[in-house]
Amino acid sequence: MFHIKYVKLRVNPKNSCKMKQYDILIVDDERRYAEMLARRLGLRGLICGVCYDGKAAIDTLNDSLVSVVILDLQLPDLYGTDVLKKIKKYQPETTVIILTGHGTEKDRQECMTLGAHTFMNKPLDISRLLAIMSELKARSV
Amino acid sequence: MTNLFTKFLESLAPRFLHRDDEQLNPYYSHRDYRQMWGMGIFVLLTTCLLPLFLMTLIYYQLIERSIDTESLLRTERVASNARRAVTYLLEERLAALTFTVNEMSYAELSNHEFLSEVLRNLKLGFGGLADLSVITDTGKQVAYAGPYPLKGKDYSSQPWFMECKQNNICVSEIFTGYRDVPHIVVAVKSQQPNERFFMLRATLDTARLVQTLSTYKTGAHADIFLTNREGVLQTPSHYHLSNSDRSTLPVPQFSERTQTMTASDSEGQPIVVGYAYITTNIAPTPFILMVVKEKAGMMRIWLDLRRQINWFFAASAIIIAVVIIMTSTSMVNKLFRTDQEKAHTMMVAERNAQLASIGQLAAGVAHEVNNPLALINETAGYVKDLFTIKHQYQEDPELVEHIDSILEAVDRCGTITRQLLGFARHFDVKTQRIDLGNLVSDVLNFHKKEAEYRNIGIHVDIPENIPLIETDRGKLQQVILNLVNNAFQAINNGCSLDIRAEMAGPERVQLSIRDNGCGISEEHLEKVFDPFFTTKKEGKGTGLGLSITYGLVQKLHGNISVQSKTGEGTTFVVTLPVQVEKDSV
Repeated sequence: MFHIKYVKLRVNPKNSCKMKQYDILIVDDERRYAEMLARRLGLRGLICGVCYDGKAAIDTLNDSLVSVVILDLQLPDLYGTDVLKKIKKYQPETTVIILTGHGTEKDRQECMTLGAHTFMNKPLDISRLLAIMSELKARSV
Repeated sequence: MTNLFTKFLESLAPRFLHRDDEQLNPYYSHRDYRQMWGMGIFVLLTTCLLPLFLMTLIYYQLIERSIDTESLLRTERVASNARRAVTYLLEERLAALTFTVNEMSYAELSNHEFLSEVLRNLKLGFGGLADLSVITDTGKQVAYAGPYPLKGKDYSSQPWFMECKQNNICVSEIFTGYRDVPHIVVAVKSQQPNERFFMLRATLDTARLVQTLSTYKTGAHADIFLTNREGVLQTPSHYHLSNSDRSTLPVPQFSERTQTMTASDSEGQPIVVGYAYITTNIAPTPFILMVVKEKAGMMRIWLDLRRQINWFFAASAIIIAVVIIMTSTSMVNKLFRTDQEKAHTMMVAERNAQLASIGQLAAGVAHEVNNPLALINETAGYVKDLFTIKHQYQEDPELVEHIDSILEAVDRCGTITRQLLGFARHFDVKTQRIDLGNLVSDVLNFHKKEAEYRNIGIHVDIPENIPLIETDRGKLQQVILNLVNNAFQAINNGCSLDIRAEMAGPERVQLSIRDNGCGISEEHLEKVFDPFFTTKKEGKGTGLGLSITYGLVQKLHGNISVQSKTGEGTTFVVTLPVQVEKDSV
């Protein structure tokens, strides 16, 4: 199993993320959802960061080391694809998994073209996410 | 060939009389095709047939008038000629008798042989004389030359004797007298020196007179005869076969000239009568010459022609009527079919738009429900994780917090489901009293997320004093949904949308939906409500949204208008009555 460490991000995600190293950065405007997912993944030993909008996510990525980003498409400030473009431009090695409420086939194609690793719809199948994580871990080792 | 004929007949059947599909009725542009058809036929028939009819009538009148004039003239000519002949016949004989009575003495004339010699000579010179006699002033016939045994007869009581005694000369009416043969008596008085007088009397043969008259009789429809001044027939008349004694015609007024008049015979048929009072230079006569012509006989050619014209007119009228009816039927059929197709397209389009808005609604609901469901999924998953991964959490108070989170998400789903049910139910409901504010916020709920993501500010200003309005909730909801959708498509991220309501008079509510988006250019502004008009790229828009919205507002007895300026934004203003009659929505 992975090293279990739970990072609670309640007040200011930007500050909390500072100089950290995350296995997964969850970017979702639905705060409760993002936190709950972080808890579940935390229980499984993954270090998770949480951001609620695109700008915060980009800031976090600038300040921290993140291996996987779970990115929602509909964010209050930016569209998910814009965040994806930025990540792929400045940190192309970061794996981006799109997790959206109602992604269309067109969105899927666009995201895959832009370099997303996987495109998943909510509700999340956690075992699938864990399988992807294991695969990534295995590849990096 | 038969097929073509059947098709032709089908194209003439007035299909617009029966509308098969009741549902299409509200979409027709024209209501009363039957009236349109009838009016078309009436106007065309009147325009085509009235001039023809009037022209024929005028033609008839002209012809009749000219025939009338012509027949009067012709009759007058015949009467005039016959009058001259009869006058001449009588005058000639009167002159001969006058000459004889003045030339011969009473003694000579009362000699039977001498009188017979005179009669022979007169017969040779003039003809038409039957006998000759000398009558004394007592009325006794003293000498007689002729075929009848009349010597010694007393004529003192005869009317002609009295007349001759008084006027010196007389022409009698035609009578039979002692001899039982119709004749005319012509008598001339000769005054003797001894205050006495005698008369030379001659009897004229009527056959000569009748023959003379008959030469002026032309055709089977003409008659010529003499009457006396009381209207008693003097010569035989074809026209008075049944009543040979007295003429059925009125005795005409005295005139020195030949006259004509129109009358009708015993059967009521119109006739032309020419007449002349026969007066010789020597003596007046009791005769009136009558020429009678049947108008029908003279007008036969014209009547035949008129019958032909009537047939021609009737045939033309029938052909014109048939062609007009066929053309009108075919044209109204075409118009009706086009209208029917349009109505059908409109109906299908409205249905499609309704389906589309239901689809949009369903998508909105799925979107809204999905987020709480995802949250339930994660929270429930987390609780399960706690149980399976960390057994010590069994009595942990944190658990309650997560369960609350699940319940809260379920509550969110419930709210959305209730809204969905509320929305769907309103498609069936007809008029009801609704709160405009609630309705607007219901509709906006489905755009809340999009507005949030796109940073679109929605400002709703519906004052408390706006009354409940009685209308069809479903239709009004669709109207607002369509207008809000339109606005969302027109504006960029970060723009704003204003929805405000105010009273427009005591009975009407005005709802304005204003955006500060791209606006509509002036040339497009007047077409925005036209069906199939769209400025979106092909395949993106149907161009029906606003057209249907317009139709719905009309059905709600309201009206909709639009103001826009390119680059500054667009305002749609919907005005609705506070109360609507139930049947009409």
